[in-house]
Amino acid sequence: MSNQSSLLSLLIYLISAALFLPSLFGCTTKIAETPKQDTVLQSKTDAEKTATEAQDALTRSIYRVRDPGPFKLVTVKSLDPNSKTTDECWQARGEAGKFGGTLTVSIFGRDPKTYNYWDHQDAESAGLGLLMFDRLVEIDPWTGKMNPRMAKSVTVEKDKKTFTVKLRRGLKWSDGHALNADDVEFTFATIIKRGFGNSSMRDTLTVYGQFPEVKKIDDLTIQFVTPRPFAPFVSMLTNAPIAPKHVLEPITKRPMEEFHAFWSINCDPKTLVVSGPFKVGRYVPGQRIELERNANYSMVDKNGARLPYLSKFVIAVVPDQNTQILKFYGKELDFLDIRTVRGFDAALMKQRESTGDFTMFNLGPNDGTQFLMFNMNRRKDPKTNKYYVKPIKQEWFNDRNFRLAVSHAISRKRLVDNILRGVGLPLYTAESPASLYFNKALKPYPQDLNYSRALLQKSGFVLKDDVLYDRNGNRVEFSLTTNAGNSGRDATCIMIVNDLKQLGMKVYYQPIDFNIMIDKTAHSCDWEAVMMALTGDKVEPYNGANIWKADGRLHMFDQRLPDKNGTVRAPDARDWEKEIEECFNKAGTTFDEKLRHRYFDRYQEIVYEQQPLIYLYCLLDISAANNRIGNYRPTPLGITYTPRGSFHNIEEIYIKKAVQN
Amino acid sequence: MSPAVYIFKRFLQAIPLLLIISVLIFTLLKLSPVDPLAHLKANPSISQAAIKAEEERLGLNKPAPVQYGIWLRNLMQGDLGISTSGSSVSTLLVNRAGNTLLLSLLTLFFTWLIAVPAGVYAAVHRGKWVDKFFGLVTAVGMSMPTFLLALLLLMLALATGALPIGGLTSPDFFEKNVFQQILDVAHHLIIPVAVLTFVNLAHIQRQMRANLLDVYRAEYVRTARAKGLPENVVIYRHALRNAINPLITMMGFEFSYLLSGAALTETVLAYPGLGRLTLEAVLTKDINLVMASLMLGSVMLIAGNLLADVLLKFADPRITLE
Repeated sequence: MSNQSSLLSLLIYLISAALFLPSLFGCTTKIAETPKQDTVLQSKTDAEKTATEAQDALTRSIYRVRDPGPFKLVTVKSLDPNSKTTDECWQARGEAGKFGGTLTVSIFGRDPKTYNYWDHQDAESAGLGLLMFDRLVEIDPWTGKMNPRMAKSVTVEKDKKTFTVKLRRGLKWSDGHALNADDVEFTFATIIKRGFGNSSMRDTLTVYGQFPEVKKIDDLTIQFVTPRPFAPFVSMLTNAPIAPKHVLEPITKRPMEEFHAFWSINCDPKTLVVSGPFKVGRYVPGQRIELERNANYSMVDKNGARLPYLSKFVIAVVPDQNTQILKFYGKELDFLDIRTVRGFDAALMKQRESTGDFTMFNLGPNDGTQFLMFNMNRRKDPKTNKYYVKPIKQEWFNDRNFRLAVSHAISRKRLVDNILRGVGLPLYTAESPASLYFNKALKPYPQDLNYSRALLQKSGFVLKDDVLYDRNGNRVEFSLTTNAGNSGRDATCIMIVNDLKQLGMKVYYQPIDFNIMIDKTAHSCDWEAVMMALTGDKVEPYNGANIWKADGRLHMFDQRLPDKNGTVRAPDARDWEKEIEECFNKAGTTFDEKLRHRYFDRYQEIVYEQQPLIYLYCLLDISAANNRIGNYRPTPLGITYTPRGSFHNIEEIYIKKAVQN
Repeated sequence: MSPAVYIFKRFLQAIPLLLIISVLIFTLLKLSPVDPLAHLKANPSISQAAIKAEEERLGLNKPAPVQYGIWLRNLMQGDLGISTSGSSVSTLLVNRAGNTLLLSLLTLFFTWLIAVPAGVYAAVHRGKWVDKFFGLVTAVGMSMPTFLLALLLLMLALATGALPIGGLTSPDFFEKNVFQQILDVAHHLIIPVAVLTFVNLAHIQRQMRANLLDVYRAEYVRTARAKGLPENVVIYRHALRNAINPLITMMGFEFSYLLSGAALTETVLAYPGLGRLTLEAVLTKDINLVMASLMLGSVMLIAGNLLADVLLKFADPRITLE
């Protein structure tokens, strides 16, 4: 879910844009005058035309770089001079670069909270952890398949329940300690299974209520056995970096709370022991985190030299996106990651591209989805014995025709053109077009008010003097909410209110604080319509199971709350809710790619037909890199949490000295 | 009453006051319907169990009076508690307080250095073009929001490339020698100090000018002039000493802003100060952190007032400490 941005940053943005780039004046007024879009669109200033052209060019050109094929395993001289064997290393796939140099990137908002990846709750700590700790497998940024990383190979045995992982020879922690199967066994059997730190990792790896068995076979071999066949298992391993047993084991023998404090952001970074390409060297609170090269990292370049190339990786902590962009223009930052460059920034930045000595990369649609939903809850609050949603409104919100009518009345194209400045795509499905499982058969549809009116008529709604009444004569009116301070969502809601006005619906739009909105959707169930967004997963749709299973924690359109014992039941699940759940259960247990596609296609089809969430649009991922960065080859699938972000090949990123330093 | 006894009495009076303030802040925080764990709850990949565990760890599942009791008990033992980020509140405050103090003290220094002479000069040369010029400058300073000025200066920094865009130190700060480090920090401080000085300057200069003009009309000034004293002595010996009292009181109030007054400027300029930390803490309802920094603000206010009262005693012997 996207971060809340305060009203302050909106103000700052508007002012900076107005002062700095006068061409935006046109854009802001255009959003404000949403009802009469078409007339406004006709009169364009020259500056606006350039902006539109730039934005068109950007949308057309999704950046593609050719798949370099699988990694090659090479043997190199061991780090240990006394060793008789060689080390096995993966060979990076880019061009040979230069050693040395500092890369400065940034995160916005708050500082990361911990170096302890196994305890992280926030995206910043996750992105930082991914620079310091390697995983057994990684997603191939080109194909989406699972590449072994620390592992040499991962094999699924015939029973479909046993996974054998072979580690590479010669892996070392940054302190020189050998990294072997003991560390892997410790990570899964102790840290994750016993629930140290953030227990979410345990939950994602749990299959049908049981954690897989972990068994060390020999120093370099580990076996996982899941209770039942579970297809996403290998991809779940990408979320679980291996922990250093020789450092963390003493902590796990102490009370569990101490694990939270271990390797917190204020610890001495000298105590860190890492397996990834970089290690934190210094933390300057509120300003930046400086990472140093890990000389023991086990990947090599084309010439067999140990990576990473960079000697320093600096993460500046900046309050908001606008300051990030200013610092990037001022060359204080080398790079802007995807969540910094928003739609309305992109068109303006594009105009500075050639003079600013940087390149923008359009990485295609984001995995997140923006949607509108109605509260379809039909139950009573056990405490007050009152309905969560008024019975009159329950009937509307549970009427499929009503939801379809709303969906067909919204002009998604106009949302994309005006709010995202064209840097986005209209969305009709539960998976973003970026997903490997995106159902292409589900066709987009344009705004069609007549069709909407016909649907409403079918359900007995009557339009009298431009006011819509249901069949019992109740006026159709409801409140719509989104989180305050997010200018894009705010403008979206205003446009939706206007679109629905044409059907005769009276929508009261009322932005509220993000935290309050979440409390309403997740706990009090006291809401009627909400516009919000959820992050998705381009590779594994199963990660959305929390949203789609009828008893899921984020089944927001009909949230079922836990009873006194903490269990959630869904005896009143609708047939199509059950079918979606079945799709997820089946897709979770089969390894047959064709079948998985069929199940995930079907789930998207049901959502498309039933519209429990009315999808609106998805954003494009855009990054910007100074031209002095070498080997930056981002792909849509190679994106994770900032600061690692779109640097899927961070180990071979280098600084071209030739370009002005 | 001797100053020492007076200070001790005021100190005792402050204790119940601080207790009442803390209860008020705590109640207000608890009444606001903000959920500190909302971001976790909105993340599909975080489980119910993880959220439960986090609630327990932060003590959010206990009734509010119990939470306040725990907070107070910890405070007595000198423990300000744990922030939602997991690190101790006192470490966070200490990390940032130094930066803010540096910024505030420099601002205070430059403000007074410029404002007091400027106020005196404007009063002495009332109605001349210098006075009108200061009038214009202070009007702008009073009406312009700090963040707007900060942004304008950032634009200037970007356009000229002469000044850094926000922050307090350069990425290569720790590779420099001490002298270069001082220069680096000074370079980064130019914009924030300029912004805050410009804005604070306005009201102190106006106040100084108005006070001095008031005193100018007093009889003893006329007497002094009638005695044939030189104008300089009249102004600096007789008029200024009497005009400075309200400014000392003002300084007492400004003391309380030292640690918390620059939140907006700090946010816009990416300055790693206490104000920005507090603002972020309020937005995410980080109770321990908000409590600690608001209490710190209250203590500073009380201490500032006390300081001003004692200073007044020294500046003006007619005042007695009661």
